[in-house]
Amino acid sequence: MNTRGQDSLSKSDDVRLVARALKGDRKAFEMIVRKYEQPLTSYLGRMTGEREAALDFAQEIFLKVYCSLGSYRPAYKFSTWLFKIASNHLIDHWRKKKIPTVSLDQPVDGDDDALLPQVADPGPSVVRKLELAEIRQKIERALATIPEALRELFVLRHVNEFSYEEIADIKGLPVGTVKNRVFQAKELLRERMEGS
Amino acid sequence: MTTCPRPGDLYLYLEGGLGPYKARALEEHVERCAGCREALAERRLLHEAFTTLPPFEVPPDFAASVMAGLPEPEEIRSGWLGPLVASAASLVVGLLGFNLLTGAGLSDVLLACGRLVGSAAAGLLPFAAKCFKIAAILARASADLAAMLFEAAGTGFRTVGPWGVALVLGLGGAGLLLALFGARRHLSQGEEP
Repeated sequence: MNTRGQDSLSKSDDVRLVARALKGDRKAFEMIVRKYEQPLTSYLGRMTGEREAALDFAQEIFLKVYCSLGSYRPAYKFSTWLFKIASNHLIDHWRKKKIPTVSLDQPVDGDDDALLPQVADPGPSVVRKLELAEIRQKIERALATIPEALRELFVLRHVNEFSYEEIADIKGLPVGTVKNRVFQAKELLRERMEGS
Repeated sequence: MTTCPRPGDLYLYLEGGLGPYKARALEEHVERCAGCREALAERRLLHEAFTTLPPFEVPPDFAASVMAGLPEPEEIRSGWLGPLVASAASLVVGLLGFNLLTGAGLSDVLLACGRLVGSAAAGLLPFAAKCFKIAAILARASADLAAMLFEAAGTGFRTVGPWGVALVLGLGGAGLLLALFGARRHLSQGEEP
């Protein structure tokens, strides 16, 4: 989620905080919560589309994390572990609610390249004249309309700033597939913005 | 690059993830192709928007509310406490179940359990004592054997004298070396020279 130097510093900080929390230091776990509350709710907010639901989910996920701290292995990045739990929590929720999900094992709308047309015929540019703020608003609206499997990878990449390798770890997918899906998500967003 | 790049390559280029050779080829192509120039400009703007999406606002008391909902620290230390409590609880449930099914009083159940444990101990203790006795006999026999060997060696050395000892040691060493080299040669058979 950061540069390499910050990464290793943050990783050792997290490992220390987890060790202290495991010894019963609640303050250490509170520091973990404060550090990750915003990235986690930003992710959950984009995935659920509702602020209140995102906060409820975040609370449940932090409880889950606290109860399974003993199973965290310091060899892995804490943030990757946390987001893996969050992602599984969302999948469980959608399964219980029977909300149709798009499997990441299957291509969305046909093969992987179906959404990646050649750009020789780009069509009229729709975003050039828009200001960045307006574009961001459109992105937020368009995000809610794309399949959650693509949305999740897009959010992990651009909102949470995970590397493709870290996302591959979180989702248990090959790096190439993750890259392809993120590009698909971006192109879908572009198409939806064009249509809005 | 003769053909127009795919959007994935444009995004990868904007993220700095395209290799230097491919990046230069893409730049050269974009200079020549107006359509791709426009596509790249559009993706550049989008990319900037994608990477600057605002974070969600979290209420200032969120962390406190998370902490208030957590169990006590003892509850997450499930090392031995959990199984211990679970086994004690299952024992109590078992005793109560037995009491309800047979109608025997709780004291009868406890007495029966005590008798069972006592009879098991009565069977096991003589067996453990026999094992201990056999182990003691074996230890004494091996100690006697070692003492006998040392004594025999001392007597032998005294009989043959220092020259004899030197001869025996020399022959023994040579035999050992021969055995070692022989084993090495045997093990290295079939390997590449």
